[in-house]
Amino acid sequence: MLRQPLSRALTLSSPVRAAPLAARPYAAQAPPPPEKVEVFIDDKPVHVLPGTTILQAAALVGVEIPRFCYHERLAVAGNCRMCLVEIERSPKPAAACAMPVMKGMRVKTNSDLTKKAREGVMEFLLVNHPLDCPICDQGGECDLQDQSMAFGSDRSRFTDIHFSGKRAVEDKDVGPLIKTIMTRCIHCTRCIRFASEVAGVDDFGTTGRGSDMQVGTYVEKMFLSELSGNIIDLCPVGALTSKPYSFAARPWETRRIDSVDVLDPLGSNIVIATRTNEVLRILPRTNEEINEEWLSDKSRFACDGLKRQRLVTPMMTDSRGNLTPVEWEDAMVAAARALRDCPPGKLLAVAGDLADAESLVALKDLVNRLGSDSTCTEQYFPLDGAGIDLRSSYLCNTKIANVEDADFVLLIGTNTRFEAPLLNARIRKAFIHKDTDVALIGPKVDLTYEYIHVGDSASAVKDLATGSSSHEVMKRLEAAKRPVVILGADQLKTPEGAAILAYTQELALRLQDKLEDKKWKVLNVLQRTASQVAALDIGYQPGVGAALQAGPQVVYLLGADSGVVSRDQLPKGATVIYQGHHGDAGAAIADIVLPGAAYTEKRATYVNAEGRAQQTLVAVTPPGKAREDWKIIRALSEVVGQRLPYDTLDEVRDRLSEISPALVTYGDVQDNNYFAQARSLAQSLQKPVSGKVDVQLKKLEDFFMTDPISRASPTMAKCVQAVIKQKSSKY
Amino acid sequence: MFQVISRAARLSRTPLSRSLPAFSTTSQINGRDQLGRHEAPMIDNDVVVASPDEKQQKSVLESTISVPVKVDLTPVSGVPEEHIKPRRVRIYQPPKNAMQSGTNNIHHWEMEFDNRQRWENPLMGWTSTGDPLSNMKVAFRSPEEAIEHCEKNGWSWFLDVPKIEKPVRPKNYGLNFSWNRRTRVSTK
Amino acid sequence: MAGVLARVIQRTKPQLGIVGPLVAKGNSNVPVRYQGTQKQPEGKQRGSPLNDSDRIFTNLYGRHDWRLKGAMSRGDWYKTKEILLKGSDWIVNEMKTSGLRGRGGAGFPTGMKWSFMKKPSDGRPHYLVVNADEGEPGTCKDREIMRHDPHKLVEGCLIAGRAINAIAAYIYIRGEFYNEASNLQVAIAEAYQAGLLGKDACGSGYAFDVYVHRGAGAYICGEETALIESIEGKQGKPRLKPPFPADIGLFGCPTTVNNVETISVAPTICRRGGAWFASFGRVRNQGTKLYNISGHVNTPCTVEEEMSIPLKELIERHAGGVIGGWDNLLAIIPGGSSTPLIPKSVCDTVLMDFDALVAAQSAFGTAAIIVMDKSTDIVKAIARLIMFYKHESCGQCTPCREGVGWMNKIIYRMVDGNASPKEIDMLWEISKQIEGHTICALGDGAAWPVQGLIRHFRPELERRMAQYAATHGPSKAERLY
Repeated sequence: MLRQPLSRALTLSSPVRAAPLAARPYAAQAPPPPEKVEVFIDDKPVHVLPGTTILQAAALVGVEIPRFCYHERLAVAGNCRMCLVEIERSPKPAAACAMPVMKGMRVKTNSDLTKKAREGVMEFLLVNHPLDCPICDQGGECDLQDQSMAFGSDRSRFTDIHFSGKRAVEDKDVGPLIKTIMTRCIHCTRCIRFASEVAGVDDFGTTGRGSDMQVGTYVEKMFLSELSGNIIDLCPVGALTSKPYSFAARPWETRRIDSVDVLDPLGSNIVIATRTNEVLRILPRTNEEINEEWLSDKSRFACDGLKRQRLVTPMMTDSRGNLTPVEWEDAMVAAARALRDCPPGKLLAVAGDLADAESLVALKDLVNRLGSDSTCTEQYFPLDGAGIDLRSSYLCNTKIANVEDADFVLLIGTNTRFEAPLLNARIRKAFIHKDTDVALIGPKVDLTYEYIHVGDSASAVKDLATGSSSHEVMKRLEAAKRPVVILGADQLKTPEGAAILAYTQELALRLQDKLEDKKWKVLNVLQRTASQVAALDIGYQPGVGAALQAGPQVVYLLGADSGVVSRDQLPKGATVIYQGHHGDAGAAIADIVLPGAAYTEKRATYVNAEGRAQQTLVAVTPPGKAREDWKIIRALSEVVGQRLPYDTLDEVRDRLSEISPALVTYGDVQDNNYFAQARSLAQSLQKPVSGKVDVQLKKLEDFFMTDPISRASPTMAKCVQAVIKQKSSKY
Repeated sequence: MFQVISRAARLSRTPLSRSLPAFSTTSQINGRDQLGRHEAPMIDNDVVVASPDEKQQKSVLESTISVPVKVDLTPVSGVPEEHIKPRRVRIYQPPKNAMQSGTNNIHHWEMEFDNRQRWENPLMGWTSTGDPLSNMKVAFRSPEEAIEHCEKNGWSWFLDVPKIEKPVRPKNYGLNFSWNRRTRVSTK
Repeated sequence: MAGVLARVIQRTKPQLGIVGPLVAKGNSNVPVRYQGTQKQPEGKQRGSPLNDSDRIFTNLYGRHDWRLKGAMSRGDWYKTKEILLKGSDWIVNEMKTSGLRGRGGAGFPTGMKWSFMKKPSDGRPHYLVVNADEGEPGTCKDREIMRHDPHKLVEGCLIAGRAINAIAAYIYIRGEFYNEASNLQVAIAEAYQAGLLGKDACGSGYAFDVYVHRGAGAYICGEETALIESIEGKQGKPRLKPPFPADIGLFGCPTTVNNVETISVAPTICRRGGAWFASFGRVRNQGTKLYNISGHVNTPCTVEEEMSIPLKELIERHAGGVIGGWDNLLAIIPGGSSTPLIPKSVCDTVLMDFDALVAAQSAFGTAAIIVMDKSTDIVKAIARLIMFYKHESCGQCTPCREGVGWMNKIIYRMVDGNASPKEIDMLWEISKQIEGHTICALGDGAAWPVQGLIRHFRPELERRMAQYAATHGPSKAERLY
């Protein structure tokens, strides 16, 4: 089905630039906003809340005031002085980024005084900025370049370059991701503010004074953060650039493709920059509901793993048991023969971390047609009680963006900092800006903010759920107007997982029922992988344990690389078919390897931890003989003789929408319901628990290599090494 | 399909309606100066001396004409079918470059075709492609214009609305020094 | 830099391009442009020498005991309780009557500043911060007070604290002032022991603490918000205004920052009445003032005198005149290093007060008079000041960080004459690009000396360039610019 608009009948209207979007509902529930004041920006009237800065007010009427230090997601610093504007009846210009509007204020952003002030600041910034644009990686996307073109003078009068020259500053070493050329620094302090506010690692700062001021870590130290790459974006000049991307390309040479990240469960929006069928770098793309404009280091820098250890040709084991390249026909025929010869019920399909919804549905359809029922994911989720029947039981129901409106967050067995760095950044944002308090049940980990540690025993969850806890967190939760409970999916694979889930549901829903705000959702289960939600939506069984016990004859691994299926668990003589893009754990045990496409190489659907379907777009074509995953399965079905009824991607998506319309409503997320049912079904599972709550990713070095792509990435390997080295250093 | 309907429905929620092309003469009548009414109407000499046939002809010319709303250019555009039917257009607003703070170049909508294979040209190292539509990026003021363009050309399209709207929170420099908030800045 | 760097609001030239005749006419007939005022109102037209009975600082030279006993014998701590019991409104009102303007340099009316603290409390405590970070070259008045009359300051803290309802005063004292800090600390300890400070200060029921915080030697920490940052334990980098310290100051609470001298005269004003204080000096420039006279004079000194006293009279009477006689005078920096210099022609007639010096295109600052006779290499003197400002720039905001360093480079070339005459205009423009564009007033303070130099000594600069060209051939800058 071509997605032609039947909706032409609906009157298309309004060339309003920003299409109306559902504003986040909870932000609106604050007390009624104070009366707006009228100000005039270049004689254009605008009504804004009192306390709004001139720069923000100007943005509302489309006047963009140049800035270097100001960033809308960081605190105001006001030190670059680029945003100076003239205010009527004020003898000197004011910094628009910090100056709040007053009633009736008349701001002139284009007057002679303003222009002169900007030109002066521009001139000063360039006095000590090296003229090395030709060898600077920021060239072409440099704020300093652009603004000096727009606001600077047309000639230099810095004659002192011939007498005493410019300042030079020693470069710093802040790790394998960020290259520093500190001579280029214009001291905007954005990186310092990012590190201390968003990343929560107070390592950056200025030393020295006046023209000797330097930005850096006070002692030479690696920037130990999972969000460190963002300071590359923030840097308005080329002082902080990407080390892996250095001297790789110019921005005008690259082609940018908007896509979605799959290396963590949040589905951050990204822009993939490519050139000649090669992914060069990944940048974040603003999505206020998911990643704002940040991106975690793994998502950003693991892209060099897309070029290494790739499966580029179909392979089969030869007589000596070694995988040897073969043609597609041979691999297909062999795979089809194995599938056809497999007795019904002895076929097992296992989906991995990075599987997309299209290939998941195609594989499930194929397996079902072959008379088998076992399609599983690698991550476990308890099936007792409501299990995966209710979508609300396995999603982040609060939604990522709403977390920052929470007033109390309880984390159970999850280290959000490394499992979902941008969710953690949201929690930190709430912690800082909304004074939200956080409590954690689980091992003591560094979440970058302070939290109340409730201990790491599972019984703490039980006590909170039953209300018998005497811990202060109990009172805080009861008193909270918008509490959030986040349960890490890692807990669920333990024998007590079902009980922990049941208690968490009980706790969350008991709190939720008491809330005045009936729309607020408390329960969140944070999945670990990008594929899990879609797989559960499609009807995959979580976990392979039971299916492996049945002794499958043929195992079809769809990118299953986390090692939960191993040879010694399988009966002798079982055939393993691996379809995926990296030669990792799955391919190592395979008899037949079918090369698939990575997330940058296919248009595919991924559903993130909050149940939001998003699609990746084709940025590059799969290497060698690799093909898009759903097409491989579709072709295989033809050879097996169980032809799947879809020929195009749109038809696969129609099939997806038959299963759940939510899988194809791209970009949006629906509210979940049936909490009460899940709660009542879970009641019988509230058994005593005695174990410990643990998390898998405890330290920064655990964070970098968690999936086939990042395990293949040399940059990530360097990060792990550098972190370990830094941690052994006395600083 | 679902996606398109929901997008389009959403777009149509905006209150402004697109202004019609001024083929109609009614606007001129309405726009006449109310105070000028007491004067005798100006009558064009040509109207007085015109024959009935000419008058009719004139009134036909002056009346509103209707143009077909849906135009299909595919039969006449000469684009080969393999570049019409299987091609899919993404209509989107270009995202802000994360590396820069300026937003002046992203206030429009663009269309791009699905990405096809490119390779490095062995002669010069430049990028080659076999896709003639590969570099066709057309900018539009609104998604509706882009949709109309795609439909004229018979391309299937989908709309990618960026989630960039967010409530304006007044920034406050004083919060850096707040006495009781965690926004207090420690490092500089 | 005891607040010299607070801004005097001068009219900004709308265009910085071509600078008109820069050599000032040197008369004081230029209309006064101070905060919108156009002409000097009626009243006393000039100050005259002060009677000993009207001196506030009676132990300025340390001839008497500076400790509590000696201070009390000189009238300090006399009826402080009664003053406190009259309440904050009375004190503020008395300060308003006195017409006292801040002695740190900017000259903001103290009574008005204190009245900003009257806003209804929102639960935050109020603080008084005393700026004793006297780092401005040429200024040496606060150290005399703290060294020889510390009880004036301590008592002033209590009274000012009562006026603004502060719970504590922080005295931020320059780190180099070791003896001053120790004397001050002794004075505070004595006051605590005598029950003059503490839970029940002077038996008035008002609880008040005074803390001394020693700085670490940064001139910029004399800027009030940088000073607050420094007390908070952060790098002394100024904050933007608004928010003003009266709204968000020390530890995020309403704060008033005053100079040592301002605070020290408050008790005497309260005891002798605001009207007594207002009887000195011209209207809007009332009171007595500590003048520091240094440089090429026969007897450099710090002296208390009436405001609006003629500069020449001040120097002749107290400093023993300029070395080599008044005619040997070249120029004077009238208010501390950050104020523009005035040539001898202006010095002949100018009065020492805020308005008269603004009219003479300079500023009153801290009244630290630096006298330079004809033996002075004026360009080098100013260059040395710029180097000081370059060294003391905090580096936070661009115009000051980059601009002052650049000015420093240019002016040191001009010392040798290795520059192009066209660069004089460029230097003027650069100084104008700094002035008024920075977060704090250090940028202004660095720009003004240069502006004063160019305004009054342009021929000297050009002469040096010509001389350099004659001996070395044309400067490289001539070809470049």
